Amino acid sequence: MQRSVSSSSLSPSVKMKLVNAGFQFTADLLHLKPLQLSKEASLTQQEALEVLQAVRREGGGGDEAGGGGGGESSSLTALELLQKEEEMKSIVTFSSQLDAALGGGFPVGKTTEICGAPGVGKTQLCLQLAVDVQVPQCFGGVGGQVVYIDTEGSFLLQRVVDIAAAAVRHCSLLVEDDEQRVAMETFTVETILSNMFLVRCHDYVELLAEVHLLPDFLSEHPRVRLLVIDSVAFPFRQHFDDLSQRTRLLNGLAQQLISMATGHGIAVAMTNQMTTRLSGGQSQLVPALGESWGHAPTIRLLLHWAGSRRMAAVFKSPDHKGATVQYQITSEGFRDVGQSEQPPSKRPRTQTVASVASQRDTSC
Amino acid sequence: MVVLREGMCPGLDEDLVRDLRAADIKTVEDLVSSDIEELAQRCSVSYKALFAIRRVLLAQNTAFPVSGADLYEELLSSTAILSTGNPSLDKLLDPGLYTGEITELSGGPGSGKSQVCFGVAVHISYQLKQSVIFIDTTGGLTASRLLQMLQAETSNAEEQMEALQRIHIFRLFNIFSLLDCLYSLRSGGLQQASVGGGSVKAVIVDSVSAVIAPLLGGKQNEGMSLMIQVAGVLKTVAKDFNVAALVTNHVTRSGSGEVQPGLGVSWSHIPRTRILLERVERAAPVSHSSMRSATLIKSSRQPCHIKEEFDLQWWSCSKEASSGKRKLDETDSG
Repeated sequence: MQRSVSSSSLSPSVKMKLVNAGFQFTADLLHLKPLQLSKEASLTQQEALEVLQAVRREGGGGDEAGGGGGGESSSLTALELLQKEEEMKSIVTFSSQLDAALGGGFPVGKTTEICGAPGVGKTQLCLQLAVDVQVPQCFGGVGGQVVYIDTEGSFLLQRVVDIAAAAVRHCSLLVEDDEQRVAMETFTVETILSNMFLVRCHDYVELLAEVHLLPDFLSEHPRVRLLVIDSVAFPFRQHFDDLSQRTRLLNGLAQQLISMATGHGIAVAMTNQMTTRLSGGQSQLVPALGESWGHAPTIRLLLHWAGSRRMAAVFKSPDHKGATVQYQITSEGFRDVGQSEQPPSKRPRTQTVASVASQRDTSC
Repeated sequence: MVVLREGMCPGLDEDLVRDLRAADIKTVEDLVSSDIEELAQRCSVSYKALFAIRRVLLAQNTAFPVSGADLYEELLSSTAILSTGNPSLDKLLDPGLYTGEITELSGGPGSGKSQVCFGVAVHISYQLKQSVIFIDTTGGLTASRLLQMLQAETSNAEEQMEALQRIHIFRLFNIFSLLDCLYSLRSGGLQQASVGGGSVKAVIVDSVSAVIAPLLGGKQNEGMSLMIQVAGVLKTVAKDFNVAALVTNHVTRSGSGEVQPGLGVSWSHIPRTRILLERVERAAPVSHSSMRSATLIKSSRQPCHIKEEFDLQWWSCSKEASSGKRKLDETDSG
C-alpha cells in the first residue's frame, strides 16, 4: 500500500505544493534530489531538503521490515515493559492509606488528576508531593526535582517550608545506617526549596507555551521526576467563548503531558475544580473541564467531604480497583487519620481533631 | 495521479520519460488517456513501443474483479472469530471479534474500555496462544495489570512470561507516530512480530480518539484527512493479514443530552461493529462497582441496542477453581 504525501508530518502549505505538482505518494519522492524537487514543486531548497528527510525517515522505517516500528517509536514486549516498570518508583504522599489505594503512591510515567471542591486540600496535596519527590532513594523516595506550575497563585512559601521541615524531621527519625545519615546531610529545607522550579502562568496561552517548552527543559534537567500543574482548570475556565476549541486544546495538552511523562520518566499531577451538572432535574457535582477531559489523566483522584471528614476516592485507575480512604491536613502536611508518628507535642492536637470528628459523626 | 518514472515497466527509460514530459505527459493517467498515434509522432517514438507500455501500465494499475463465490471461499478459509474472554461480550459480538474487521468500543471515562482491551489481549495471548499488537496512546497500559490478569488464568510463572512475550506494545502519543507505526506494520512489521510466538491475530489501538480529537474542528483542515488515512491503513492491515482490529473511542453528548461515540459521523462508518460501554448507575456519585453495561450500537449481524451487563473483574477472577460459572461475589487479588 502506498503511503500518501498528506500523511507525512510536514506543514500543510508544503504538502499542498507537493500535491499540486503531482506527487501523490511518498514513493514518488524517494528517488529525487533536493534541487529537482524544489524546482518541480516550487519549494525552497530548505523545504525540499526537509521533505526528503521526512520521507526517507518514514519510508526507511517501513522498508526495513518494521525494525521494531517506524520512526522513533519502538515496540516492547509486555515482559520487557514489566521489567521496566519494576524499576519505576512511585512518589509517596506520606498518607499510607492513600499510597496503598494508589499502589505505592503517585506513579512515575503516568498523569494523575486531583479533583475536589474548594478547600478540600488539593493544593496541600500538591505541595506535599513537591516535597516528597525529593526524599532520598535510601529512604524509599525518588530523589528527584520538581517543576511546579502555579496558575492560581496558591503557592505559599511558608507552607512549603513547614511541610519540608516536617518531612526532614520525619526522615531524620528513621535514620538507621550510614548511607541514610549521609543522605540526610543533603536533605534539608534549603536543598528542598532549591530543587523546586516554580513557574507562574497567568492564562492558558502561558500554560500551553510552558508545556510546549518543557521537553527541552527536562532534557537539560534529567533529575526532574515530578511536574505539578495547580490548577489546569483555572486558566481554561475564564473567558472561553469557543468550547470546542477549549476541548481541542485540552486534548492536545493531555497528549503532550502523557508523552512527556512516558518519554522523560516523570510523574504528572494536575488539579481540577468541580462544577455542577444538571441531569434530569437533579444536580450532581462533577469534575470540571468536560467529559472529554476525563479521558486525559491516567488516574483520577476525587477529594471530597463526607460530613466533616475528608475523603479521597480513586475513581479511575487502570490497574487498581477504586477505593476510598480518609485523610487529614495537619500543620505537617497531608497525613493519614490517626497517625501515630506524630511527635509528642502534636499529639493532643491530633486527638482533638479526631475527637471532634467522631463527635460530629455520632450527631450526624 | 501516479507520476511516470523510469523503470516502472520495461521500455520506459529516462529518455522516453523526458520526451513525454516535454510533450506534457507527466502521469500514468495522462499517458493512458492520450492518443497513442499522435503521441508517437510528437515524441518520435515507435507506436508499438508506446502501445506495449500503455498495456503494461494499465495492467499494473487496474483493479481486477473477483467472483462472489471465490470471495466467499476465501472468507470461509481465512476469517477467524476471536473470543474476548468474557461470555457476555461474546454474546453481543456474535460470538467474538472477527478478523478482517474493525470493532470499536466507546465509553466515557472510567467505563472500562482499556480494561476490556487488556482482557482481550491477555485472552488471545494465553488461551489462543497467538500474538497481539497493542498500540497505547493514553499511557494507561501497565504490564503489571496484564500480569495480574494472567495470574488469574494460570499460576505457572513460565506460561505467564511466555504469554507476556506474545504481547507487543507500542507507546505513541500523536497522529503522525500512529501513522508511521501502522504503515510500518503494513510493510513487514507484522511479520516480524509473529516470529517466535504465534502469528499476530489482533491489533488493538487504545485509544484512537486521543490522537485524532485534537485535530478535528476549528480552522484545521487536516484532521479529517488524517483520520480517514488511519482508518484506511488499519482496514488494509486487518484485511491483508487476517487480524482483528479493536479500537477505543471517547464519547460526547449530542444536542439532546444523549451519550454518543466521538469523532463524528465520518468515523461512524469505519468500524463494522460498535459497542458503547457505560457504568451501571448506582446511588452514590462515587461508587466503586465493577459492573458495566455494554450496548451494541452498530452491527451487521445482530439487531442493535441489545444490552448486556458484565463484570470488569471477570478477567481477574481465578478460572482454575471455577467450574465454568461466573462468581461475581468472589473477592480477588485485583
